[in-house]
Amino acid sequence: MKSNKLTAAAALPLLLAATLLFSACSKPKGGGQISGSARDTTLVVAMLGDADYLNPVLGASVTSGNITGLIYPSLLQSEFDTSTGLLNYLALEKSLRPVKSDDGGRSPKGALARTWTMAPDHRSITYILRSDARWDDGKPIVAGDFKFAYRLYGNPVIASPRQQYLAELLGADKGSVDFDRAIETPNDTTLVFRFFKPVPEHLALFHTSLTPLPEHVWKGVGPEQFRESKLNQRPVGSGPYRLFAWNRQQDVTLSSNPACVLPKPGNIRRIMFRIVPDYTVRLTQLQTGGVDVVENVKPEDFGAMQRANPNVELKTVGLRVFDYVGWSNIDHDWYNKTRKLRPHPLFGSPAVRQALTHAIDREAIIDGYLGTYGTICNTDISPSLKWAYDDTIKPLGFDPALSVRLLEQEGWLPGPDGIRQKNGKKFSFTLYTNAGNDRRNYACTVIQQNMKEIGIDCRIEMQESNVFFENLQSRKLDAWMAGWSIGLEIDPLDVWGSDLEKSRFNFTGYRNPRIEQLSELAKAKMRSEDARPYWVEYQQILHRDQPVTFLYWIRETHGFSKRIQGETLNISGTFYNLDDWSLKPSANTVP
Amino acid sequence: MAAYILRRLLIAVPLVFGVLTLTFFIIRLAPGDPAAFFIQPGISPNVAEQIRQQYGLNDPLPVQYLKWLGNVLHGDFGRSFSRAQQPVLEVISEALPVTMTIAILTLVANFTFGIVIGVISAVRQNTFLDRFLTVTALFFYSMPEFWFALMMIILFALKFPLFPVSGLNEVGAESYGTLQFLLDRIWHLALPVTVLSINGAAGIARYVRGSMLEVIRQDYVRTARAKGLSERAVILKHALRNALLPVVTLLGSSLPFIFSGALFIEVIFAFPGMGRVTVEAIFARDYPLIIANTFVSGTLIVLGNLLSDVLYAVVDPRIKL
Repeated sequence: MKSNKLTAAAALPLLLAATLLFSACSKPKGGGQISGSARDTTLVVAMLGDADYLNPVLGASVTSGNITGLIYPSLLQSEFDTSTGLLNYLALEKSLRPVKSDDGGRSPKGALARTWTMAPDHRSITYILRSDARWDDGKPIVAGDFKFAYRLYGNPVIASPRQQYLAELLGADKGSVDFDRAIETPNDTTLVFRFFKPVPEHLALFHTSLTPLPEHVWKGVGPEQFRESKLNQRPVGSGPYRLFAWNRQQDVTLSSNPACVLPKPGNIRRIMFRIVPDYTVRLTQLQTGGVDVVENVKPEDFGAMQRANPNVELKTVGLRVFDYVGWSNIDHDWYNKTRKLRPHPLFGSPAVRQALTHAIDREAIIDGYLGTYGTICNTDISPSLKWAYDDTIKPLGFDPALSVRLLEQEGWLPGPDGIRQKNGKKFSFTLYTNAGNDRRNYACTVIQQNMKEIGIDCRIEMQESNVFFENLQSRKLDAWMAGWSIGLEIDPLDVWGSDLEKSRFNFTGYRNPRIEQLSELAKAKMRSEDARPYWVEYQQILHRDQPVTFLYWIRETHGFSKRIQGETLNISGTFYNLDDWSLKPSANTVP
Repeated sequence: MAAYILRRLLIAVPLVFGVLTLTFFIIRLAPGDPAAFFIQPGISPNVAEQIRQQYGLNDPLPVQYLKWLGNVLHGDFGRSFSRAQQPVLEVISEALPVTMTIAILTLVANFTFGIVIGVISAVRQNTFLDRFLTVTALFFYSMPEFWFALMMIILFALKFPLFPVSGLNEVGAESYGTLQFLLDRIWHLALPVTVLSINGAAGIARYVRGSMLEVIRQDYVRTARAKGLSERAVILKHALRNALLPVVTLLGSSLPFIFSGALFIEVIFAFPGMGRVTVEAIFARDYPLIIANTFVSGTLIVLGNLLSDVLYAVVDPRIKL
């Protein structure tokens, strides 16, 4: 009996000890010494999700993008000019547009290209590369590495999410790029891209500056094994940082690479991307000093954030993201059954859609939720793209009386139950959106109330994101709320193209040949600025037709610890100049 | 008993297999597309198609099923769609140690505190102490775990920064010595394990109290007291042993929890455990990972039930299997 008791008493501590030892087996890999307080020279960035591939050909997650940008070299540096809204591209000795030195603009020291020449017929571009750049393993970076990488980007078996960048290369119009002719490397420092049509210089620069991969490391890996290759976890790059440790779903740590000439890293010795899935916890970590950067802080938390910790500052950037209410312009059920078009019974007429926009109190949504971090949206061309934005457009104001008049002109008269009807059909619909988005939830509720006031019955239904997106694609929803994040090059045909089979994101079924014409005319201009008249007309047409009700642009807001210096926020990304940041030593606020 | 266990295990094989087959078809029939992430403006429309081709999703369902069946019978659960083609068994083997650490610590704390509190409230039935413990236990039992966890973080990590907010280790912990590393790990586990065990212990305490109250009214307990045994011996030796019979079965049903993870806690404290793996796999429509997770949790539920039954027979000699 006694011995029994002893075993039982001993078993528990033993079990606990074993558990902890077991847990210690998962001690992260890494090693090396961190002198002094590791936190003083380590920048910690909280991320929502882990990296997928640390490979520029495959990486699709936000975290991967941030990391590959620091590990790998780039042909050119790009910079978003906030005064015009145009992208500038810089090589060591050349830039597309004049560089403004006063706002501390980005130095081009990270570019692999010394200079470039665009052929007069705009059918080819020739880069001269610097000869002193080396991969981490000491081998020089040569033009062949680019050609090698472009073959990978274009290989359908590899399925790179960036294959769109190859769309203008020779042969792409016939289905597959003719790499032997489209990309030539006469010597190690000369790189030539050839296009099947004249391409504007800014687009050529954008599409030819995909990140290279070291050919000598990757050449033995077949396309079938490319995604599975262990090399994806041990990237050989040449940027200012190197991969130090990657503990999946926990953190990715980079260490500075003092040997790097592209450019030399600052005093941040380590950058750790810590995966913290919960939003509240990310904010708490920023307040306690556990992390230094948190992206996408919600407006309702700004006040508390700044009161709680004066060492945190919030910075905003924008405008790239907007929400809208989509109205199906065509009768989706009919289209799905017959592939034929007819106007939607409720939303088919532009006058009705104008009435709906007038009925929605967009200011109230902005005041109630976004405050100064939102601004009314008229079309999908951002006010930040100043060179194209038409600032003469007057937003359709909140005016229920006008809305009612427009509806009655269209024949929508109040029915016995107070809900408008026309030819026996009630104006009643369900507004769908994705579950779990507080902002859209708030906006939906306001809209529901607005609709009720003008005699329209609106129900709200939240769907799981995947389901919502699939329903949207298969044209099952009549009215929905969603959002877009716009690209920095304007290319609206995916969303407004008339060929509904080809324009995958034309969920509304809006069709206007002039919109397509304008987009094509604008894209054919060799200088972006010259396309402005087309984009102005484009905005006026969208404003008139109201294919959707554009709601508001959102200023994205990120939280930073004040111990970071040199960070400038830019529409092209929070971390776009991360290699220029530095940390104030011993300014760490919490033990 | 050995024959009984063997029989149960043999029955379990087709059962688990049936569950996997059902899962295989249900997730494929459910709306959502594993390649949906690649359907966005700026990405060539070909990409989603190429990805589906790679994943073998373009084959007819029966063909997909046969291929999958062949692989699973060879012990190959495939590669994850959403986690960079990592073999799913590798994903699970990385997540399991984290989950097991939390779960075993929690389980021990659950049962220890649960039994102690339960016994005290039963023995001191209807006293202030009993009422206090009962109300407190109910209070914690009815509190949503994720909310409780956030409150604990705000209290003990933000207002009084005694514990870290999240993560398994400090920044730079990989350079610590083993002992320091372990202490750091314990420090990080303190809050989550407390949250989980307070919640669970409250439930077990209610269970133990009920069962204990029933037992101490039995004749044999009165007999034990009558023959002059000390109260301590009566409660701990005679009553508790019998009162724990139903509690033992709880242990068996806790087994799946040990391996399947506590989702909210893992998300909130940023632990890369099984709960997070499962939910992220479902949201990403990562079919191979969903099936492998179903396999792990399905097998464990079957084994857990078997364990409860066997334990029951072990602790209660009257039950013959």
